[in-house]
Amino acid sequence: MKTKLLKLFALFAMASMLLAACSGIAATQAPAEKAKVVIFVGFGTGTDPDQVAAQEALAKKFNDSHEDIEMEFLIVPNEEATERFLAMVSGDNAPQLVGPHGTSTIARFKEYWEDITPYIQKDNYDLSDFYGPATTINKYPDLDAGLPLGLYPSFLFYNKDAFDAAGLAYPTHDYTDTSWNIDALKEMAMQLTLDASDNTANDAGFDASSIKQWGYADTWTDMRGQLTMFGAADQGRPTTDDYKTATFNAPERVFGFRWLHDGVWRDHFIPDANGQAAIDSTGADPFGSGQVAIWYSHTWFMSEGLNELPFAFDIAPLFYNQDGERIARIHADLFTMSKNAKNKDAAWEVMKWLVAPEQIVDVCKIYGCLPARKSTEEAYLNFLKERYPTIDHDVIFQAIDYLDNPHHEGWVPEWGKVNDTLNNVLSILYSDSEADVQAVMDQGNEDVQKILDEYWANQ
Amino acid sequence: MSPFRSLNKMSLARREALAGYAFVVPWIIGFLIFTIGPMLASLYFSFTKYNIIDPPQWVGLANYERAFSGIWDAVRTGDSRQFGDPLFWKALQVTIYYASIALPLNLGFSFFLAVLLNQNVRGINIWRTIFFLPSIIAGVAVTLLWVRILNPRVGVLNPFLKDVIGIQNPPGWLAAPEWAVPALVIMSLWGVGSSMIIYLAGLQGVPTDLYDAAKVDGANAWQRFWNITFPMMTPVLFYNLVLGMIATFQYFTQVYVATSSSIAGLGSPQHSTLFYNIYLYQNAFRYFDMGYASTLAWILFIIVLLLTALIFRSSDAWVYYEGQLRGRNL
Repeated sequence: MKTKLLKLFALFAMASMLLAACSGIAATQAPAEKAKVVIFVGFGTGTDPDQVAAQEALAKKFNDSHEDIEMEFLIVPNEEATERFLAMVSGDNAPQLVGPHGTSTIARFKEYWEDITPYIQKDNYDLSDFYGPATTINKYPDLDAGLPLGLYPSFLFYNKDAFDAAGLAYPTHDYTDTSWNIDALKEMAMQLTLDASDNTANDAGFDASSIKQWGYADTWTDMRGQLTMFGAADQGRPTTDDYKTATFNAPERVFGFRWLHDGVWRDHFIPDANGQAAIDSTGADPFGSGQVAIWYSHTWFMSEGLNELPFAFDIAPLFYNQDGERIARIHADLFTMSKNAKNKDAAWEVMKWLVAPEQIVDVCKIYGCLPARKSTEEAYLNFLKERYPTIDHDVIFQAIDYLDNPHHEGWVPEWGKVNDTLNNVLSILYSDSEADVQAVMDQGNEDVQKILDEYWANQ
Repeated sequence: MSPFRSLNKMSLARREALAGYAFVVPWIIGFLIFTIGPMLASLYFSFTKYNIIDPPQWVGLANYERAFSGIWDAVRTGDSRQFGDPLFWKALQVTIYYASIALPLNLGFSFFLAVLLNQNVRGINIWRTIFFLPSIIAGVAVTLLWVRILNPRVGVLNPFLKDVIGIQNPPGWLAAPEWAVPALVIMSLWGVGSSMIIYLAGLQGVPTDLYDAAKVDGANAWQRFWNITFPMMTPVLFYNLVLGMIATFQYFTQVYVATSSSIAGLGSPQHSTLFYNIYLYQNAFRYFDMGYASTLAWILFIIVLLLTALIFRSSDAWVYYEGQLRGRNL
């Protein structure tokens, strides 16, 4: 029995060695393995089924034309993206590229990205075809996060049926018309705000507890975003340019907070927290629910089923602020390269390919962005005309000239903590009718200053 | 000598013991690798500054100091801003507030339901199923349902409170800082079915001869409940209390689902739902401060351990085991 077992073991060992040897020969004879470039999709857009299919087609197109690199999209649900990405990084398996994602994700993970400046210099890569803002929004002194892919300018979406029912003229589409300002918007929005008995917010018998249509909302952005349009010196950044002093309670922001607070609690043309939750519970976005007549958002909102809306709509420029200035937020997406990834040279080749003039329009069609290359403007305009024939396309392109700089999602020290602190202030705006605006802003500023002080003390 | 032969020479008891160990070895290996290993790793990380991308940097007790610094100044002045990390204390306060309401309510309500469902009435099995069913629905689905129910504009609860009960200004629930935790407590009652079933099993194990004897002695229903049912149920109550306390201190999913979709973010409004585990999560996955997040995890572990020890210690005074005389076993 013992001898039999020994024989069997010897046979097994020989077979194993033979197999190993054969596989070694096979390996040496096989063509060189392709450098794999995994594109991690999940922090921003790109996870809808039709987008997934389009991305797979894009990968096939790339792989068919490249012998040395294999591109693969890794689709991760948005709510799992942070944990999955961190797990991949900590497991020494960082994805080569991440995206498309915007300024907030780039800022939040700033230390995780590779600076592509050396790659640009090595290839003498020509950036002149990109819109100016596209090359600067995600660029810091120590980090150029990636080649620009697309821009998402912002403007107002308005419900034409609601305007018709109220007997109101539509907002102007003329960017030079300075009468289209914050007061004009408020007046219009109050007339568009209706309670269950169709009283407007101006009527004596108006019941604020039964509002069925609000005049205006800008509720899909955070505190920094909502206050940017009011034109503080640092615009979207709540600190000085050396990031050492908090400027959140700048007079322009205090004005903005008060204007929004009054809009929610006194004039009732902006939904409060309960109103926003009620809209969310319909399963539709605020504009698509038909409960918001004027909705301020970005081009990415156009992928929210605009063509299936049961009412007519169009787009208009953002209004001028209290100081006669127009600051229309912008988002800029790109693909970033993970600092700890393998195959970085291959990742750079893929990054270049994705934003090349031959591909960028198709890539942007997937993600709903306006291509960052000026040379492709006409091609994209034709696409927009075909897809959204009833809207004023000029409004989209002109909005780029009014972008926020510094950006409302740009990096600040302890980005997550600062934004969470300010979003706590935001929750006061929408949930506390009695809030002392100046005190709330001062407290927010003090909290941000404390975070900055701690950060700099540890540097 | 063959190992099988030496095995045959062992006593039956020893062989059974070896077989027992062989069966539990896979679990022990899993426990060591997947529980003890990460625990020890997180203990190490709690003494470091660690953001995942860079190697951990040893900082000694700095993370613990950060959590507890300023405590005396804050207590002395009554100003929570004096805390080194005010949000740590806020999170602890929110969690204790929730636990102090939710835990007794859940224990009491599930016990009450179990007593009701222990009656000999027609269709009792159907009633038991009905009351148990909600507890098997996933937390996310239940939370989404309750977020809708509690919404003051479109939910069904406030119209009921206003039109049926006559409360003119019903609460704003999850959108109102002072009502957000009570709203979550109401949501938690939805899941009492699991502890109810444990109580029910306990109730059915109470010897009927005790009731018979009490009846012969002239005890009324309340006296029978208070002097027989309740003492006999204290071991089950003790069990549910320990598990419930641990669960309330680890409360996460419901509040994550209820507040993460809001633009004001986790813990909103105004930090009123900033539970301990939410704050821990924020530090780990939003601020990438894994060292401090590990510290928070260990502080929570110690708090729960101390409370559990306290409950165990107090059990001598109020938990009654059948066949036991107070202070010593028969």
